[in-house]
Amino acid sequence: MMSPCANCAQKTQILILDDEPIVCKRLRPAFQKAGYEVETFNDSASAMARIEEKQFDIVITDLKMKGVDGMHFLERIKEIAPNTGVIVITGFATSESAKESFRKGAFDFVAKPFKLNEIIDTVRRLEENRRR
Amino acid sequence: MVTGEMINVIDGLKGLFSFWSPQKPTLPFSVLFKKFRSILERNNRILELMSDMGDKLGGDYVFDRQYVLDISEKIGDLVFKLISDLCVMTQNENVDLFIAFERIQHEIQEELAGRRAFPMTRPTVLLDELNGDLNEEVGNKFANLGDIRNTLGLPTMDGFVITTRAFFDFMEANGLLSHVENSLAALDAKDEAAFEAMCDDVRGRILKGTIPRHVISSMNGMLDILESRARGKPLRFAVRSSAWGEDSEFSFAGQYESVLNVPRKGIAEAYRRVLAGAYAPEAWRYRLHRGYRESEMAMAVGCQVMVEAEVSGAMYTYAPLPLEQEAMVISAAWGLGPAVVEGLAESDTFVLDRLPPHRLLSEELGRKASKMVMEPDGGTAWDEVPQRLRDEPCLSSEYIQRLAQAAIMIERYYRRPQDVEWAFDSKGNLYILQSRPLNVRPNQPERHRLYIDQATLSAHVLFSGKGTVVQGGVASGKVYVARTDDDLRDFPYGAILVARYTSPKYSRVMRKARGILTDVGSATGHMATLAREYRVPTVVDTGVATKVLKTGDEVTLDALRNVVYEGTVKELSQFEITQEEVFEESYEYRMLRRVLKKVNPLNLVDPHSEYFKAARCQTFHDITRFVHEKAVERLIDLSENYQRYHDRTPKRLESSIPLGLVIIDIDKGTSVPAQARSVTVEQIESTPMKALLQGLSESGMWETNPVAVDLGSLMSSFTRTFSSSLAGPEQVGRNLAVISNNYMNLHLRLGYHFNILDAYIGDELNDNYIYFRFLGGVSNLQRRSRRARFIAEVMECFDFRVEVHGDLIVGRLKKMSKEWMVAKMKVIGGLIGYTRQLDVSMISDEQVALHLAEFIKRIQVLTEVRDDVPMCELRSKDADSNP
Repeated sequence: MMSPCANCAQKTQILILDDEPIVCKRLRPAFQKAGYEVETFNDSASAMARIEEKQFDIVITDLKMKGVDGMHFLERIKEIAPNTGVIVITGFATSESAKESFRKGAFDFVAKPFKLNEIIDTVRRLEENRRR
Repeated sequence: MVTGEMINVIDGLKGLFSFWSPQKPTLPFSVLFKKFRSILERNNRILELMSDMGDKLGGDYVFDRQYVLDISEKIGDLVFKLISDLCVMTQNENVDLFIAFERIQHEIQEELAGRRAFPMTRPTVLLDELNGDLNEEVGNKFANLGDIRNTLGLPTMDGFVITTRAFFDFMEANGLLSHVENSLAALDAKDEAAFEAMCDDVRGRILKGTIPRHVISSMNGMLDILESRARGKPLRFAVRSSAWGEDSEFSFAGQYESVLNVPRKGIAEAYRRVLAGAYAPEAWRYRLHRGYRESEMAMAVGCQVMVEAEVSGAMYTYAPLPLEQEAMVISAAWGLGPAVVEGLAESDTFVLDRLPPHRLLSEELGRKASKMVMEPDGGTAWDEVPQRLRDEPCLSSEYIQRLAQAAIMIERYYRRPQDVEWAFDSKGNLYILQSRPLNVRPNQPERHRLYIDQATLSAHVLFSGKGTVVQGGVASGKVYVARTDDDLRDFPYGAILVARYTSPKYSRVMRKARGILTDVGSATGHMATLAREYRVPTVVDTGVATKVLKTGDEVTLDALRNVVYEGTVKELSQFEITQEEVFEESYEYRMLRRVLKKVNPLNLVDPHSEYFKAARCQTFHDITRFVHEKAVERLIDLSENYQRYHDRTPKRLESSIPLGLVIIDIDKGTSVPAQARSVTVEQIESTPMKALLQGLSESGMWETNPVAVDLGSLMSSFTRTFSSSLAGPEQVGRNLAVISNNYMNLHLRLGYHFNILDAYIGDELNDNYIYFRFLGGVSNLQRRSRRARFIAEVMECFDFRVEVHGDLIVGRLKKMSKEWMVAKMKVIGGLIGYTRQLDVSMISDEQVALHLAEFIKRIQVLTEVRDDVPMCELRSKDADSNP
């Protein structure tokens, strides 16, 4: 068996932010099973604090939330860590919000509800993209 | 034979239903017809939303509360507008429909607001009525037992629960709710002695409390029922706690009190004792430490008939050993359960393999000198175990096997390792006494996760991402490929069912199967509903399952990520069973499921039944079905009885096939003059109608000679004829089509089959659609359901989205090129012809596959759009297995 630490270093780090707990609860094990290291947050303030401390490879964030909304969160990540890939997930998908997310540097925009495989595939594409 | 008296009865009935007698229309036909089309569109949209909601329950999707709110609003809005459309069409206020709508809508709103729409206001409830959704009314322990008894069908003793409602009534009546609150507020948290004094005080008050009269009489009612079921045999009861939160996240194991072997007259006393137990210092402290508020304390109490246990004990579906060992453990002793559960006596320990056939890995036999028994006058006592039994194992290998299978079934349902309490009586009957989640957490979560990566990376993927997930979860086991004519009597326990089609007949294996994979099938059918009910990991419509997998292959199905691996990937099952939340237990899942119960079930199935009326609508589906039926009736009535009014001359279709069809051409649907009273097949210009008629005649599938009917079918045909003539004799045999150049709306009653087709086929791909609805006919239920399967399978083969609800089949197809739509319409034509006399030959399940192959073969000449792409090809091995 491989030593744990040799392996953890290679893992892609993902932060997930959504104020509906069910989304985090579903995504965390799915990504863990797919071989990722995952941290989840239900409120944007703590997620905001976390990205100041630690750099993530990928961030998946909801748009409409209490407190700091997803758009601001997206802006802040891109300021701190421009290399972090961001995927926006939202239940209120409009072409305006999609356009704005892309303009602010989001990699993709996924409308809720989505399939688990869909979001995992999006993350895989993002990884491919980052390797190039 | 219709007698004069019968005619009077029919006239009388007509009078009764005269509110449906059509009003003379005050709006132009074109407006009413537009309303009719709008009803069809909304109807379509509602069914789509319904299956969308159903799909979300499969576990494949991530959805949130907002989704449930949004979709509920959308569907409610559509149903309301649907009723409004009908009002315009029939010029009727439809008050009953609106009332039904408001009632359902209100119930849904209450669910969404988190208020239970069916609060259990009764002080007692029978075990037969319980399920996991009632945990607030009956506490978790008995809600779980309800699942085990009523959903999983495992044996449990008869009984009833005194609900949390009764608890609050009792506490309130004795002034205890405010007393407890005040005492707690006045308590110094650090003062242990004061805390214990408060506990004593509250318990004392409960033990002296008066049980409200309505609770007592309700308990007596339940006891009477149980006694009559036991046919006068004197009953003894186990009176057990079932508090909010108990046996859920926190087990509260052993914190609350149970009273065993209670005679009828002792129930009230035992009830008070169990309630008082909630305020024992240990239990109360446990709640406080876990952060439970006092308002979250409610105690339901279960009264169950005692098992005269010969041997009893507990079973952990994961032994407290390293997870990799995949073992489960049973502790057992002679006599009643507390001996083992409370560790009061020596017991036997059996360690088994978790995987079937659950091999015995080790056993350790205790010297069982005494056992707990029931005293004749109530209560329990210790008795000596006869010498010869003391060192004997108290479970045979057969008992161990049965117990293991039952426990694994419960674990699979909850997707959590379980701690199951059980007993065998002297006749060898197994009873499940209770089951609670076992908190098994891997000691090193990081390491655990790592070997998941390695396991799934190194495991060989047989196929992935194929088909639709019906029920999530992980299953490992041996493949069993079901043949079409298989009666599944020999389906091996713990196997994974692989089948060509989804079929209701697989309900038989739900309790034995670890997982299900099919080549073809929909996520909204009957089998899918059952798979969700039993939580059997299931993926349908994979296209390849029967090709890739052979009976006996060992595979692991990960129905969440939708991957099938070769061999057993036990790490996946372990991960599944230790993850933090089980999807089916999440609030959002339960909310969607409860909302769906008010939307989806179809109760109004038979339009000829006396129950087919607005006031009987219990769900949105019922309303939708009812409105559709009434709209069709109205349209036919308008066209037939107010011909002058719709300013088009109805034209009789002259064709070699006797369809009895009258055509109303609204815009360039025929090449004859507007006043013409008849039209030939060649003069039809309407694209969809032309294709349909071609399919009907050119496929050669129209068989006009009636096939010999056996006596059973004849009788059932007679009954149905009679009821349909009561429903409206004027409609039988008169068929109607409203057409234009690109459009057709057709109502076609042939014999006892009723087809509705609504289609638009033009050059703009996005506008094109076919909506096909097929309703029941002659002969018995089994044959009708075979016919339904045949039709559904043909249509699925030709890319239709199909839903089957009993006798009713709805197929939809959209957005294909004109060329393809025409070809599909010909298939429908052929299908209508082919099914006309089909029921009588549907004598066995095998016939379904035979007819399918035959039909596909015969229709092929008509559907070759391009010679290189067959439109529908039977991928099956059914063709090989057929003689």
